[in-house]
Amino acid sequence: MNELQQILDDSVTRLFAARVDREFLTATEEAGFSADLWSLAREQGLTHVLVSEQGGGMNAGWADAYVVVRACGRYAVPLPIPETMLGLWLLERAGAPPVDGVIGLLPVPIALAVDGTFSGDMPRVPWGRDATAFVGTTDDGRLVCFDTSAIAIREDSNLAREPRDDVRFERARPLALQPLDLPLDAVHWFGALLRSAQIAGAAAGCLELSVRYTSEREQFGRLLSQFQAIQHHLAELAGGMASVDTIAHAAFTAVDDDGFRTGGRDARFEIAAAKCRASEAVEMLTRISHQVHGAIGFTYEYALQFLTRRLWSWRAEFGAHGQWGEVLGRTAIEQGGDRLWACITN
Amino acid sequence: MLNLDSLRFPRHALPSALEDLRREVRAFLADALVPYSAVVRSNTWDGFDPEFSRKLGARGWLGMALPKQYGGHERSALERYVVVEETLAAGAPVGFHWIADRQSGPVIARYGTDEQKRRIIPGIANGEICFCIGMSEPNSGSDLASVRSRAERVADGWCVNGTKIWTTNAHRADYMIALLRTDSGGESKHRGLSQFLIDLKHTKGITARPIRDLTGRGHFNEVVFQDALLPADALLGTEGEGWKQATAELAFERSGPERYLSCFLLLSRLVDEVRDHASPATLAKIGAEVAWAATLRNMSLAVAGMLNEGIDPGLQAAIVKDLGCQFEQRLPGLAQELVALEPTLAGSGSDYQQVLGNLTQLAPSFSLRGGTLEILRGIIARGLGVR
Ligand SMILES: Cc1cc2nc3c(=O)[nH]c(=O)nc-3n(C[C@H](O)[C@H](O)[C@H](O)COP(=O)(O)OP(=O)(O)OC[C@H]3O[C@@H](n4cnc5c(N)ncnc54)[C@H](O)[C@@H]3O)c2cc1C
Repeated sequence: MNELQQILDDSVTRLFAARVDREFLTATEEAGFSADLWSLAREQGLTHVLVSEQGGGMNAGWADAYVVVRACGRYAVPLPIPETMLGLWLLERAGAPPVDGVIGLLPVPIALAVDGTFSGDMPRVPWGRDATAFVGTTDDGRLVCFDTSAIAIREDSNLAREPRDDVRFERARPLALQPLDLPLDAVHWFGALLRSAQIAGAAAGCLELSVRYTSEREQFGRLLSQFQAIQHHLAELAGGMASVDTIAHAAFTAVDDDGFRTGGRDARFEIAAAKCRASEAVEMLTRISHQVHGAIGFTYEYALQFLTRRLWSWRAEFGAHGQWGEVLGRTAIEQGGDRLWACITN
Repeated sequence: MLNLDSLRFPRHALPSALEDLRREVRAFLADALVPYSAVVRSNTWDGFDPEFSRKLGARGWLGMALPKQYGGHERSALERYVVVEETLAAGAPVGFHWIADRQSGPVIARYGTDEQKRRIIPGIANGEICFCIGMSEPNSGSDLASVRSRAERVADGWCVNGTKIWTTNAHRADYMIALLRTDSGGESKHRGLSQFLIDLKHTKGITARPIRDLTGRGHFNEVVFQDALLPADALLGTEGEGWKQATAELAFERSGPERYLSCFLLLSRLVDEVRDHASPATLAKIGAEVAWAATLRNMSLAVAGMLNEGIDPGLQAAIVKDLGCQFEQRLPGLAQELVALEPTLAGSGSDYQQVLGNLTQLAPSFSLRGGTLEILRGIIARGLGVR
């Protein structure tokens, strides 16, 4: 980690480790959005990591942002910090004015009517009810931003009770409509990128809980962690976590280094690989973490479920491993077997 | 308490200068590998071809990280990494020089005497010396520290008795680095072991008997020592430090990209095989393995970067080998799930079928050689602080 990443890591750890515990998560699932934690995160600039200094941000790269997004996963932070971070980055990249508060991401490109307004339903928008603005792309590849003046919300949530709301737009007029030098389904790609890092973080959280619990509980007169079967479970968990962490980090770095070139091998390869690997890993990560915890892990009272329910949700959001595997499989076939190695080594 | 940082695979970007080297190696291989059939290529580091090894040596691509003073090239571990991964991915027959270049050379460079280095390292760098690893014994596999073969001090050297087994290439190697017991070691089985540099071509009392593996080929051996007399300077490193040295040797053995690349040729052939009739489900399965390949490549590169910076990558290397051998072992089954073609023996069927046939049979060894999956999981568990 470089110096900035170390600073970010220290500050997110300090912020979240102390506050986002079982009680807090339980309360937030009832009460909803925590304005207090949001403003603390905002004060530390966590939503503005990718924004330029003129824009009041840290002007950091995606590889730096990785530290923050992963921490949001590790501590199961019930806030749209990753989503808002991405929204602000897209706005600035397109030269659109920034917005304040929570950004709701429109997961699929939209079609504007001839009069330039948008009417239609956006399903499962993360934190739609709490958003002060919505950011997405149009089906001709422009960045589009809306305020909340022409919307209706039908509240829903994912398995972790994070808001995933259906948002109905009624003749909504964009606040901003700007050319964007990214694929028109950019939100899908970057959403997958964000979720891969959150999965890496939650995997680390699962591993930590599993190691701690099995090192404290005794059966048959021994600590669970002294049984070889349990040690091998933990080793498998560690490998799964490390694999997701490595490829997700590689994907964030690839966005900085390669970006989205038009045509040819670019960061999309790593993003697809990261979300594919991360989503695929969820089955093993959740199965083993629960297995080594026994019944306690299956209770609402114990913290593991805040992580595993997120993992099950994030696995599917912005495309599960089947979908991303298909993308990679198609890439491989288009390249041909002989070029596969060159594709992997870039 | 678990320290998550110890599990990190630090991102390692190869310096762009290495891309020139990579291009050079690729161009060389594109040419040099023309005569080799697909099934022969699928043997990768089991493929044995002294002539090919000499060609690599002539290019300066062996003993790359060994000291210049002794005939090495003093290039970085990362330059060596690029050459190694390119030769493996292409399925070059690297078996003749493999062990020497990977572990024997570095071990001699670290622990050998001036005279031993002078005598051996130039031959390694030229691709003219073949080494084998004398660790396992009939009664000492995973529990390596229990080896019983002994070297006893005699008037002007050492007298060796005992049996080594599974010794890859012993029947055609020039040298063995053997782990032998030099005294009782008292209570501890880890003490009292020493490493020896044994000249197999010029020592009496050593017989290597090839053992056919399940493919019918014989590349590993039982090696019997019967009052084999070694000169005094056959001792490698310090008497009694053999366990520590062997552990260092195993670290070289476990940290390379070969731990996930044995079946790469099958994956690339499979991609071509499904090209014209790939359903979305098929694409998804292929893609998931491509994601694994990309993941393992990043992890393996991180290990290389750690080695290059002098950080001990023991834990990371064990994780790569654990995940890598599972990846390799999945591929033959996946191929049969996706493509309705039987595996065949060399010489019949298509290239794809022969590669599949060969790797299906070799796959069980991937989680045995260089330390079994269970032993690696134990190492990982120790890294997690639970052992
Ligand atoms: C193709 C091939 C090439 C080889 N080349 C060489 C070579 O060149 N030189 C050399 O020295 N050796 C070589 N080996 C030997 C290799 O290192 C050993 O096979 C390996 O160390 C395992 O030892 P073993 O075969 O005696 O199995 P064992 O140690 O008897 O193990 C059998 C099974 O029991 C498991 N087991 C053992 N101990 C434990 C434990 N404590 N906890 C849980 N499970 C356990 C193992 O994981 C394995 O699944 C080679 C092996 C193969 C297959």
